[in-house]
Amino acid sequence: MEIEESKGPVASNGMIIGGGLSPLSESIWKEKSNDVGDVSAKLAWKDLTVMVTLSNGETQNVLEGLTGYAEPGSFTALMGPSGSGKSTLLDALSSRLATNAFLSGNVFLNGRKTKLSFGTAAYVTQDDNLIGTLTVRETISYSARLRLPDKMAWRDKRALVESTIIEMGLQDCADTVIGNWHLRGISGGEKRRVSIALEILMRPRLLFLDEPTSGLDSASAFFVTQTLRGLSRDGRTVIASIHQPSSEVFELFDRLYLLSGGKTVYFGLASEAYEFFAQAGFPCPALRNPSDHFLRCINSDFDKVKATLKGSMKLRFESNDDPLEKVTTAEAIRALTDYYCTSQYYYAANQKVEEMAKVKGTVLDSGGSQASFFMQTLMLTKRSFVNMSRDFGYYWLRLVIYVLVTVCIGTIYLNVGTGYNSILARGACASFVFGFVTFMSIGGFPSFVEDMKVFQRERLNGHYGVTAFVISNTISAMPFLILITFISGTICYFMVRLHPGFMHYLFFVLCLYASVTVVESLMMAIASVVPNFLMGIIIGAGIQGIFMLVSGYFRLPNDIPKPVWRYPMSYISFHFWALQGQYQNDLKGLMFDNQTPDLPQIPGEYVLEYVFQITVTRSKWINLSVIFSMIIIYRIIFFLMIKINEDLTPWVRGYLARKRMKQKNGGQNMTVAPYGLTQSPSLRTYVADSKK
Amino acid sequence: MNIQVGNNHGTMAARGDGSDEGGGGSLSVGPSRSMKERACYLVWQDLRVMLPSSGDGPTKRLLNGLNGFAEPGRIMAIMGPSGSGKSTLLDALAGRLAKNVVMSGNILLNGEKKNLSYGAVAYVTQEDVLLGTLTVRETITYSAHLRLPSTLTKEEIEDTIEGTIMEMGLEDCADRMIGNWHLRGISGGEKKRLSIALEILVRPRLLFLDEPTSGLDSASAFFVAHALKSVARDGRTVISSIHQPSSEVFALFDDLFLLSGGETVYFGETKEAIEFFAESGFPCPIKRNPSDHFLRCINSDFDIVTTTLKGSSRIYEEQEQSDPFMNLATAEIKARLVEKYRWSKQAAKARSKIKQLSAIRGSEISIPTSASQAGWSKQLTTLTRRSFVNMSRDMGYYWLRIIIYLVVSICVGTIFYDVGTSYTAILARGACGGFITGFMTFMSIGSFPSFIEDMKIFTRERLNGYYGVGVFILANFLSSFPFLVAVSFVTGTIAWNMVKFNHGFLRYVFYCLNLFGSIAVIESCMMIVASLVPNFLMGLVIGAGVLGVMMMTSGFFRQLPDLPKPFWRYPVSYLNYGSWAIQGGYKNDLLNLVFDGLAPGDPKITGEEVITKLYRLPLSHSKWWDLFAIYMLLVSYRTIFFLILKLKERAMPFFQSLYTRRTIHRLKRRASFVKFPSSRRYQTLRSLSSQEGLSSPIP
Repeated sequence: MEIEESKGPVASNGMIIGGGLSPLSESIWKEKSNDVGDVSAKLAWKDLTVMVTLSNGETQNVLEGLTGYAEPGSFTALMGPSGSGKSTLLDALSSRLATNAFLSGNVFLNGRKTKLSFGTAAYVTQDDNLIGTLTVRETISYSARLRLPDKMAWRDKRALVESTIIEMGLQDCADTVIGNWHLRGISGGEKRRVSIALEILMRPRLLFLDEPTSGLDSASAFFVTQTLRGLSRDGRTVIASIHQPSSEVFELFDRLYLLSGGKTVYFGLASEAYEFFAQAGFPCPALRNPSDHFLRCINSDFDKVKATLKGSMKLRFESNDDPLEKVTTAEAIRALTDYYCTSQYYYAANQKVEEMAKVKGTVLDSGGSQASFFMQTLMLTKRSFVNMSRDFGYYWLRLVIYVLVTVCIGTIYLNVGTGYNSILARGACASFVFGFVTFMSIGGFPSFVEDMKVFQRERLNGHYGVTAFVISNTISAMPFLILITFISGTICYFMVRLHPGFMHYLFFVLCLYASVTVVESLMMAIASVVPNFLMGIIIGAGIQGIFMLVSGYFRLPNDIPKPVWRYPMSYISFHFWALQGQYQNDLKGLMFDNQTPDLPQIPGEYVLEYVFQITVTRSKWINLSVIFSMIIIYRIIFFLMIKINEDLTPWVRGYLARKRMKQKNGGQNMTVAPYGLTQSPSLRTYVADSKK
Repeated sequence: MNIQVGNNHGTMAARGDGSDEGGGGSLSVGPSRSMKERACYLVWQDLRVMLPSSGDGPTKRLLNGLNGFAEPGRIMAIMGPSGSGKSTLLDALAGRLAKNVVMSGNILLNGEKKNLSYGAVAYVTQEDVLLGTLTVRETITYSAHLRLPSTLTKEEIEDTIEGTIMEMGLEDCADRMIGNWHLRGISGGEKKRLSIALEILVRPRLLFLDEPTSGLDSASAFFVAHALKSVARDGRTVISSIHQPSSEVFALFDDLFLLSGGETVYFGETKEAIEFFAESGFPCPIKRNPSDHFLRCINSDFDIVTTTLKGSSRIYEEQEQSDPFMNLATAEIKARLVEKYRWSKQAAKARSKIKQLSAIRGSEISIPTSASQAGWSKQLTTLTRRSFVNMSRDMGYYWLRIIIYLVVSICVGTIFYDVGTSYTAILARGACGGFITGFMTFMSIGSFPSFIEDMKIFTRERLNGYYGVGVFILANFLSSFPFLVAVSFVTGTIAWNMVKFNHGFLRYVFYCLNLFGSIAVIESCMMIVASLVPNFLMGLVIGAGVLGVMMMTSGFFRQLPDLPKPFWRYPVSYLNYGSWAIQGGYKNDLLNLVFDGLAPGDPKITGEEVITKLYRLPLSHSKWWDLFAIYMLLVSYRTIFFLILKLKERAMPFFQSLYTRRTIHRLKRRASFVKFPSSRRYQTLRSLSSQEGLSSPIP
């Protein structure tokens, strides 16, 4: 009886909303399915068990036999103490489980065991990786143009962006920048809402959020939750894990899924949880936030705390109104889970899930971005360019440093001349410019790391492809690098008075440009592999140090030991090629004074061949083109690194986990391994249930 | 009041006969032998804090005429929405206000005006600044040795330490490491309790805490609050700001100071607060956490939320039945509450109490001028030992660098392997020396993050008055000494033997000493940079820039006589360790060697000729003078470091008082200042796990 009653309002809500899709949502969904009437996502899961293999081959059940559902028009909150499996359940439902986790049980979307593709389900992670220099409106509209189909009119796209801004209540800060380390921007709550806005832009019918309120103050948390509730009222299915909600926030939940230690403590209407706890023998005291009470009952950490308190501190519990005084939380959890398994809530949920599994609904498929590759590249380039031009630390700071350093070099080697001593000085100058000046590119590393973070978030949500990212990054950086190298190259060239002649000048600057770009590409490749900032800098510096050592300046090319250093290394080193080219460019055709005036002058060709041991037979332009081809090679490496990280690493990890578990279980009864172990769900291809 | 005193006595008695192997009993043996007499009553009257804007902009009022008091044996919570002035009040009471604000009003400690800065009171900041490589017990032990009087016996100190560990419930994790970016350590709640333990070690009578529970999960927050309560029950005065406490935590506080926009909304016992709100017409709903309710009533951000929600999205017609305030602006509620409070019985009670407490005269308490009572030699040994332990356990401090040096010197060794005395070897020997002094010392940048961590610890401990600047610098140098020796001798030995520099044991020693001097100078230079820039990234860039300039003027890339005289030659190249190192290194290596000529028939070239003609360096002074110059530079850099730290400390208060006087003068001329919403100090509350570590360079 009660069940029917409880279903009433939600169902009627669903009815209203089914027909009442907002016009913009309709315009998007119309293209995908012809019956706009029912594009709602009904998610149900049954006997969901997730097992994780630890490094020693042990397995651990993180989730055990969970059953539940989420309906369109309702807002479901997953709650539980830390480590209770909230995030795992969310990951399992949204098919983002790590590859060493194995899933058994069924997940039904509209009654079908389909895989969830990226567009259908949006996932908002806990940290907001946004580009700090863009305004809120820009962030959303770039994202819109990255993902919406090309043929959609710009007017429609803009309308969609504006409506999203209004829906998320971001009007007031729409033209404020998001903010980074040197720009003061929007608040944490606003950032969180921008992150959500980016995900709901494509009007997904199913929305997952991982702790959307953590780290926010009460007003922002309330706002975010209220917005989520609003989104659900628009006919969406919203599932969020929430950690310690305040009283106001808790009152906004429709349904509550309470977990402890991977088991269901309660699943049902949030408003009835109060009663459930009272019936189970743990009534919530007056003037207490119910959610605090629930968590207090099922958080086993409290046992530890109490034990320590009793043991060490002279415990003085003055007030004994605590109903949990006599019972440990471990007992409370057991009592509650047992009570739940026999309660009406449990039967109601099971019944409903059965029902939902039977009704076959629309297949909601939508594969990530719908924009063409060209459009993606264009938009990414534009966005990246805007970001670079606004972020002071990305290139402007480096421009300042480059100018300072080149002015220093310029004054030290001012008007170097053609005296006997200037032979070595010219060599040293070139080596310093190509060695240490390019070294300064390391300063851009933090910005790369930030860029990579944004990329990873967007990539996981399928906003664009790796190729588009790599190409756009290359193109957008080009103007800045050209600017930097031309300004500093010009200062250096004219102050030192290197070999006169326009072509010589051009070669010098181009060579500098190429070298700086190579370093940049090298650092990007490193940034894609090394997650830690410090490690990245150390590795980058080490590689460059070795390149410099074999460049032919510190040790003459012919003297470098052949086995390792000469043969692969010096040819890999871009410094080597840069110096080969620049020495030729600078010295060829000059005449130098000898040690004493009576001796004959020394021609530059002689210096090249015998003092610096440069191969003069190879044209300097060939040297330059080698550096340019290195740029391409490093970019390809960068691309491959990302690909490997994305596809190969999860596969290997999953493979190892399976192998480890098989070894562990080898000989023993194999039934321990649940069905479906033959295939581990990976990030991109996920089958809710493989063959039994 | 009476009950409280009784409770206090009872506590003392209970502690006296505590049977736990002397832990509880010996607690009072610490620096404060007599506890009862030293009770601390803190009273503040008409406290106003203003933030004068630069120029003629409006002045922000951060606190507006607050009255209140804090009693021993009780724990007070300062609550309010973000930006309400919680932290400002706490800072004002603890005498730690930021340098740019102006304060007026009285703060009386047992009836007397006291300056409570630099170690007079214990203050636990929101951020836990701890050395990650030490265990919990070690951290407390070192701190105890630093601050407890040298007169105490070893057993007494030992007892104090164990007692503190017990009191804070840290027994389970006492021998675990705190953890840093590469070591997994204790949890956030344990860290917080450790921070509190460090402060209560010297038995302060007054303890301030800034948001001790934020970022902790509910069980840890509960534990921390409980620990605080037990500290208070020992007769201490505990004042803590707190942000969104859970129901259990909130129930543990005795007194409540509710602030909004710098004004008192409520001050009195926590239990009566519910009554007060009910009487004012805003009763707390039954299914609600009272503290959530209070904050909901006075948090003006909710107004913005409500208007935005109403204005933007379609309003959902469903009833907000649980929320009676949807129709009433919080600004209005707040004004009503403030007005109501002014005439409430709680306010009257507080007034009479303040009057009574400020009349206390002649209390025998003496707040020590410095937190540390240990002699300086003890401080030095303790600090050196602590710093040494930290360096030897922190992978990133020296070990990583030793590995890198090893790898790089093997690279250098193989590339210049057995360099010989051919004609091209002349330049190669020079280049090898240049590379080692230049690039190898450059690698010192790698320890920059550790320096910055060290500086953070120093700043916190210095602010609490644990030890002096001189002791810190000396201890730092002494503890790093063995590592620097190891680094330079490992590198020196490998490079020297592989490259086969000019042989002779004395030359080898010189080579290593030269390297050691250079690395030590660079290290000091980086410490200076670290003390000037707080930001990791800026430090890295500036450090690299300084090193680049040093490298350029060292005489390797451009010979010394060719350097432009005005700037580069005259001050810079002489202040540069590199030029001395390279001169000394050349002399050490090349003298007494004979090289082949350019062509097979040419006459041989002597090392003297190479130095004077090719490198154009004077041979007038011996290589040992060059070495001496490096060590002189080392001493002077350390002195500069000392002066900078001293200057930062001394000059700042001077400027601050000057500034305060000027602003007050200016404010007097202005009729009234505009009320302005204050800034938010803590925008986001990140979990502690995401704060620690260096995963993000951007602070």
